[in-house]
Amino acid sequence: MMKPYIWLETSDGSIQQVEQEIAMYCPLICKEIIQKGMGSSKNCAICLPQRVSPATLSLILDYCRFHQVPGRSNKVLVPALPLSLMLERKSYDEKFVRMDTKRLCELTSAADSLQLKPLVDLTSRALARIIEGKSPEEIREIFHLPDDLTEEEKLEPLKNTTDDPRIRLLNRLYAKKRKELKERERLKSVEVEEEHIDKRSVDDLLSFINGNDEDPKGIKTSKNKKKNRRKKEQHQKNSCLKEASGVNKKEVNGQNIRHTNSEADIIAETSISHTEDVFAHKEFDDGDIDDGIDPALKEKIDREVEDFARRLNSDWPERMQELLSSGQERKTMLFSPNGNSFLRRNACMFFHCL
Amino acid sequence: MVDVMGPDLISDLPQSIIESILVQLPIRDAVRTSILSSKWRYKWALITQLVFDDKCVPFSNDREVVEMSVVKFITRVLFLHQGPIHKFQITNSKLQSCPEIDQWILFLSRNDIKELVMELGEGEFFRIPSSLFNCRKLTRLELSRCELDPPHSFKGFVCLRSLNLHQVLISPDAVESLISRCPLLESLSLSYFDNLALTISAPNLKYLYLEGEFKDICLEDTPLLVEISIAMYMTDDIAEHFEQSSNCNFLKFLGGVPNLEKLVGLIYFTKYLSIGIDSVHLPIMYHNLETIELYQVNFEDTKEIFVILRMITSSPNLKELQISGSSNIPVAVDAPDLDFWEKGCLLDSALNKLKTMKLSEMGGWPHEIEFIKYLLCRSPVLETLSIIPCVFDMENNLKMLIELVKCRRASSRAEVIFIHE
Repeated sequence: MMKPYIWLETSDGSIQQVEQEIAMYCPLICKEIIQKGMGSSKNCAICLPQRVSPATLSLILDYCRFHQVPGRSNKVLVPALPLSLMLERKSYDEKFVRMDTKRLCELTSAADSLQLKPLVDLTSRALARIIEGKSPEEIREIFHLPDDLTEEEKLEPLKNTTDDPRIRLLNRLYAKKRKELKERERLKSVEVEEEHIDKRSVDDLLSFINGNDEDPKGIKTSKNKKKNRRKKEQHQKNSCLKEASGVNKKEVNGQNIRHTNSEADIIAETSISHTEDVFAHKEFDDGDIDDGIDPALKEKIDREVEDFARRLNSDWPERMQELLSSGQERKTMLFSPNGNSFLRRNACMFFHCL
Repeated sequence: MVDVMGPDLISDLPQSIIESILVQLPIRDAVRTSILSSKWRYKWALITQLVFDDKCVPFSNDREVVEMSVVKFITRVLFLHQGPIHKFQITNSKLQSCPEIDQWILFLSRNDIKELVMELGEGEFFRIPSSLFNCRKLTRLELSRCELDPPHSFKGFVCLRSLNLHQVLISPDAVESLISRCPLLESLSLSYFDNLALTISAPNLKYLYLEGEFKDICLEDTPLLVEISIAMYMTDDIAEHFEQSSNCNFLKFLGGVPNLEKLVGLIYFTKYLSIGIDSVHLPIMYHNLETIELYQVNFEDTKEIFVILRMITSSPNLKELQISGSSNIPVAVDAPDLDFWEKGCLLDSALNKLKTMKLSEMGGWPHEIEFIKYLLCRSPVLETLSIIPCVFDMENNLKMLIELVKCRRASSRAEVIFIHE
């Protein structure tokens, strides 16, 4: 006894009536009807898997409605489908998968739970087309993927890298650059925390000022260093970084304000040396290295590094002047209740010129 | 830098869907998904299909550089891969025979390989290692430009359904025994074989595709054959062999294929079938044969025409007929034997299902015209007759057209389409 309609219950509990012929195109529903005799009335409606929402069910039924028409099925091999029918089917399929990514993923999942393989293949192909040729950032954005791999994990040469030492250098630079960016982030958040600390002795403030006086000189020395050093050893830079990161890890409290400055010093040094490195690297970078790193990503990082270098170079003379003059001004404001803000602002400014 | 985004759309889908997606990406993009997020780090390593084509490594003009990168890439992928590999395909024109391939095949033989496709670049033929013959689960094997030498103890691939050998160096005995030892074989394709006399014994065979210099083809045990496509090239050896042959090739070839649905014959196929055709009484009818395509038919040779007519007689349900003449201008000086068309009832019954006829490379020669006339009178449901002349000689074409117009047609709906430049 073949009734024309059957009853389906979706994940939200709502029950709907569907033409049997169309619903039978889904293997799971087919099995439920034939093997278990379900679906003939509202009471024994076929419970669809949880991944099938009413909206996706309606899409799937549209697909089934088109494809269950005899002659359109993929199963016919000999004789092959006439060209016109194949084109019609192809055109329908292509239009069918034009939807936003979220719905496409839901549709794939629902089709899979209903065991409707042709639709799973179709939607997977659409998703593959979305992924193909895109950079990792773009893919992460589209699918809302968390960027939770460590640098080493990301730079692991799973792909087609060569043993070219230039590539290894570039890899290390990228790693360093990323660490640095993270550093800055962390330090910025460190400053925000500093706001809450209100217990500083005058001694501390004084020592800070004294330390601050030395600072511009420190900067000067660094700048001189820049002129002298064109190429540095890798391990030196690495150790600098380690120092910086090590220092960072210390808790932020009043006593460590002094350290904050030296931190900044080291970072400045590292940044400069990093820049140097970039330039040094660029001396023997012919621009046609095949490093197997995603070209779009590489470009982005290149741009970032160049930007960074440019800012560093252009800002130094002006910033130095500013710091020197501001340092003298601020001295008089020492004992004001806004001592904290002074510290903060100075630190901020320092980092700003980076 | 972290935006507030929605929930992860895709990472928690079942692995079967992820595989379905990754497998439809080029292998490089699939491997790259490893840096998307921690969940994606090894999703690519579980896919069961690995396809390496010409685009799997970056382009370079230096073939050896590319070859090296391809080899490294494939080795690395295999090394990092987890789980079974069901399909492994290399179709890379820059990759030539190299020792690593042996190791790959050994690795695959230990990982349940089911489909293996190897099409390497032009160059030295690669010698397939013996580990291939240990791939017990092989269902599809496609090899190009290599040397295949099955060991004597080889019992065959028990699961093999599809075998495709293209320009493969293998001894005739080995080929025959390979075919007969694969009981589930459904699809067989052999191309560019030299001087082969082949006897095929494959009880489950459905699709047969042969192309090369065949001395002889005997379909000994192929009752389930549904589709045949044969292209037979000629050499002096083979021509001699044809002359001396006393067999009835038609029977040898088409004697045991009652379920045939489609037959395609090229180059010297009709000639081959014409040998010994006179002595044939054809008991077999091909009730399922709906499409016949014969190319390079020599209309000067009445025996070849006879082959076609015999085939048509035995196919009551024929729907589509495509004949292509040979583009040689006839050398015969004598008047053609047009009695051939008068004598004996060549075609008793009408072709009640024939709908489409396409005749190409027609030179307008007498036999060709007679052939067309003959068929037109006997096809009551014909819808389209397309004729494509081989010479763009206006005068000749005009003569042809004049003759055609005179033809009587059994079908009132028949459209005769004369296609010219």
